[in-house]
Amino acid sequence: MENTNMLDSAVLDVRNISVSFGGVKPVQNVSFTISENSFTSVIGPNGAGKTSLFNLLSGMNKVDSGEIIFRGEAIQSIHAHKIAQKGLVRTFQGAKIIRRLTVAENLMMAVQGNPGDNLMGFLNPRARKSFEAKAREEAMRRLDQVGLTKFADEYAGILSGGQRKLLDLSRALMADPKMLLLDEPFAGVNPTLVEKLLTVLAALRKEQSITFLLIEHDLETVMNISDRVIVMADGKIIADGLPNSIYENDLVIDAYLGSRRKDA
Amino acid sequence: MEAFIQPGFWIFVLALAGIYGVFSLGLQIQYGVGGIMNFGHVGMMAVSGYTIAVLVIKYQWSFWWAALLGVVLAAFLGALLGLTTLRLSGDYFAIASIAFAEIVRYWILNSDDITGGTQGTLAIPNPDGFGGYTDQPDVILNWISDRLYPIIGDEASRDLSMVLVVWPFFFLFIWISSRLQKTSWARVLRATREDDDVPRSLGKNVFRFRLQTLIIGSVFGGIAGVFWALQFALLAPEDFLRIVTFYGWMILILAGASRVKGLFIAAIFFGFLYGATRFLEFWPLSLLSSPERAYLRVFLIGLVIVLLMVKRPQGLFGKRQEMILE
Ligand SMILES: Nc1ncnc2c1ncn2[C@@H]1O[C@H](COP(=O)(O)OP(=O)(O)O)[C@@H](O)[C@H]1O
Ligand SMILES: [Mg+2]
Repeated sequence: MENTNMLDSAVLDVRNISVSFGGVKPVQNVSFTISENSFTSVIGPNGAGKTSLFNLLSGMNKVDSGEIIFRGEAIQSIHAHKIAQKGLVRTFQGAKIIRRLTVAENLMMAVQGNPGDNLMGFLNPRARKSFEAKAREEAMRRLDQVGLTKFADEYAGILSGGQRKLLDLSRALMADPKMLLLDEPFAGVNPTLVEKLLTVLAALRKEQSITFLLIEHDLETVMNISDRVIVMADGKIIADGLPNSIYENDLVIDAYLGSRRKDA
Repeated sequence: MEAFIQPGFWIFVLALAGIYGVFSLGLQIQYGVGGIMNFGHVGMMAVSGYTIAVLVIKYQWSFWWAALLGVVLAAFLGALLGLTTLRLSGDYFAIASIAFAEIVRYWILNSDDITGGTQGTLAIPNPDGFGGYTDQPDVILNWISDRLYPIIGDEASRDLSMVLVVWPFFFLFIWISSRLQKTSWARVLRATREDDDVPRSLGKNVFRFRLQTLIIGSVFGGIAGVFWALQFALLAPEDFLRIVTFYGWMILILAGASRVKGLFIAAIFFGFLYGATRFLEFWPLSLLSSPERAYLRVFLIGLVIVLLMVKRPQGLFGKRQEMILE
């Protein structure tokens, strides 16, 4: 009975998933459970399989074996866009923006249930326009949140790397996520902005009860905001626990020192 | 050179421009908005044109129903092309689409009993022994000429009637397409042109958007086929060679792929180039035989495309900024 209880509060239940590409096995027998409205960070050296894990969770790649249960439903074999529609939304390492759409359009394309996304909506201009106006309003609000208002009607292609990250994050939020998968949102962003972003995320967690799973290279950055840290190395989870406990873990120290030695 | 000052020449240019303009509207939404490189667009025109000819001549259908079915079949073929090959990545799709149009043409070429084969629609077997299919629409075209004759005399040609029929449709289609390109549907489509992963990650079914776009473009191709069939009143397989698709591409590149409204000017320029090469009889071009001069047209059009790519990749009306964003 304890078991069912635990599942009730689980947003995401990952059961023994694996994937391989040719000889490479980026994710091997990975299992974990994420509870509602929690904030979990996934850390690990380069090539540990963190992004590959996100690709599986978001349906962009399919698992070879194992199950992914999101809000009580197996999603490991459904299309990526359907998974996003269910509220499991991801961002990309290095921020993918649509360069030849304006900044506001980048956000507006993310709204769900837009009647104008459907060709039939072409025949109902009134519904289309009122929805569009609301989407624009929300987009402007999100831009204000991250300080990009003055770029609203510029092509997104003119944004700097850091600004693209902000746009990418705001866009994921426009898609009305229940759970957000953020792939290294802080890499290459200046420390002041990182602080600001962390505040924004904490606020979102509280106000919109979004569940977070976030990839970060550096444990320090996410120490305070995370209530749990999962450490990956060579496609496997090598540690999973409270942020502080991770510091003292021998395996983690090995994995990091190992990778530093390789880097040198 | 005096050919160029004849109104008849310019009327022909406009008739051609209207037909090719509608044709290129299909490529514009596919490539200019959706980034889909369709090199088999001529297949849609062939399908609707031949549907009309076969149904009217062989089975005595009404021209109007045959035209409607022709456009529906073009759309259907677009769907078939998409369902079978649109999941391929861009370059592979482009190649598959060429093959597709060639299959259509070979089928027409080799189905003598139905299409008249190499000899064209005049050879379609039929009870009357005469292979015309434009009787019904000709009533309208003649009606227009008859009204114009008292005003402009001999210039009131069938070509002029065609211009007056095709161009209002052309403008109507430009208007519809430009409206469509302002919807959020088109916004998602523009995103898919740059990247599949972003729209997918935001809950958009990229394949559905692309397939819809291919079908819409095929409808324009099909309608252009109806106009073509009407303009020339007989069809032959060699009317639907690959080069015809590239004529459409030239108009598109000239106008700037993302700007639907510039299309009609580019279409007129193309019509002029196409029509004018027949009359370039002065030295040294007079040394060439007339079929050789016809090749000059292909050469000139290729040259225009290359020059544009080098000097003005965004086209005459496109935005330069869109081309340079990293
Ligand atoms: N689609 C793929 N095809 C082949 N190899 C892949 C693919 N995706 C990831 N990999 C490999 O999986 C390993 C883990 O990569 P990745 O998940 O990007 O690591 P991380 O995000 O932790 O730095 C790398 O060795 C990478 O080359
Ligand atoms: Mg990564």
